[in-house]
Amino acid sequence: MDPSLFVNVILYAIPIYLTAFTLYAVRAVKGPTIPDSVLAIDSMSYDLAAFMAILSILFKSPILIAVAIVLALWIFALDIYVAKYLESREMGE
Amino acid sequence: MNVSEELVNQVLMIVGTGMIVVGALADLVASIGMLRFPNFFVRLHAATVGTIWGAFVPLLGAAFFAAGYSELGPYRWFVAGGAVVTAFLILLLGPVGSHALARASYKSRAAVPKPLIYDALSEKLKEGEEK
Repeated sequence: MDPSLFVNVILYAIPIYLTAFTLYAVRAVKGPTIPDSVLAIDSMSYDLAAFMAILSILFKSPILIAVAIVLALWIFALDIYVAKYLESREMGE
Repeated sequence: MNVSEELVNQVLMIVGTGMIVVGALADLVASIGMLRFPNFFVRLHAATVGTIWGAFVPLLGAAFFAAGYSELGPYRWFVAGGAVVTAFLILLLGPVGSHALARASYKSRAAVPKPLIYDALSEKLKEGEEK
C-alpha cells in the first residue's frame, strides 16, 4: 500500500478536529464563569498539541513537534495559576 | 528497503492512522459535550474525554505513524520521540490540572455544584474551621 493512502485518511480527519476546536472556542467565549472558560481553553490546547503533531507529519516539518511539548507545559501552568488565584485571590510573589 | 521492513512500516502506519481517527471522533464528542452540558462540574467529564481520548491517543498514533513514515527521512525518530514525550506529559498533567481547577472552584464558590444530593465535603470543611 502506498503511504499517500494513509495521509489521505488523515486529511479526512482534519475537518473533524477543526469543528471540535470551533465548538471549544464557543464555550470558551460564552462560558458563564471563569472555570468554564479555563476548562474549555485547557481541553482545546491539549487537543491543539495533538493536532500540531499531526500537522508536523502532514507538512513533513519535524520542528513543529517541539512546539507541542511547550504548549502542553504552558497550559498546565495556566491551570495551576488560575486555580491558585481562585483559591487565595493572589498570584504569588 | 527489504520486504520485512516495508511490512513493519505499513503495520505502524495502519495503527497510527486508526488512533488518529479515533482521537478525532473522541474530540468531536468531547467538544459537543463541553457545549451542551449544563454547568462546570458536569463539564469536567467532557474535559476528561477530550484530554485522554482526544489528545493522548492521537499523539501516540502520530508517534506510530511518524515511526513508519519513511518520507520524513532520519527525522522521523525525532517526531516519534517528541510525540511520545508530549503524550505522557499530557497523561500526567491533564488530570492534575483538572483536579486543581475543580478543587479551587469548589472552595472559592466560583461555580455552583448543581446536581448535588448530599454535600459531605462542606461539612468536613466547616468542622475544620471550628477546630
